[in-house]
Amino acid sequence: MDPIIIIRSAILLISSILLLMSAMGILRFKDDVPRVLYARIHILGVADLACIIALLTLYEPLLAATYFILAPFAAHAIANAYYYGEEDHD
Amino acid sequence: MDLLLISEYIFLASLAIFIIAAVRIATRKTIAMGLVGVSALSIAVATILILINKIHGIGFCRDIAYALVLLGPVGTIAFAKVLKG
Repeated sequence: MDPIIIIRSAILLISSILLLMSAMGILRFKDDVPRVLYARIHILGVADLACIIALLTLYEPLLAATYFILAPFAAHAIANAYYYGEEDHD
Repeated sequence: MDLLLISEYIFLASLAIFIIAAVRIATRKTIAMGLVGVSALSIAVATILILINKIHGIGFCRDIAYALVLLGPVGTIAFAKVLKG
């Protein structure tokens, strides 16, 4: 079998494991934990990276690069809005 | 079935599970949590569309994925600016 196929399959499986772990982590944090939004943004970084790696594996480098640039800005904007926003939080 | 196709289907299933988690986060009571959930949902759906393009050869899924990846974070940033006030 072609080694490239094996490597691509292994990367996709590793991305699947990362996605499942991040889904489990998001759901395990309850809402009564203080400042849980920052923890969830942090966990979503893992899922973002798993999707970027998978997109690179699927031969979509432009899509992966675009999201690689845009995702930190979005995460920072959410955290900034939560910190300075008008919602009640501790 | 070859190994790559099986891996792609496994990745598709894990993306579906991740989307369920993202929807659960998006339906929390605070707006910021909804933003987090929608941001996760957009990249997961874009990756699913790319996978569908690769597996079934449907061309326009790729275009929708490009639009989703570009406009998802831009919308999140814009709404976060509004939320910040």
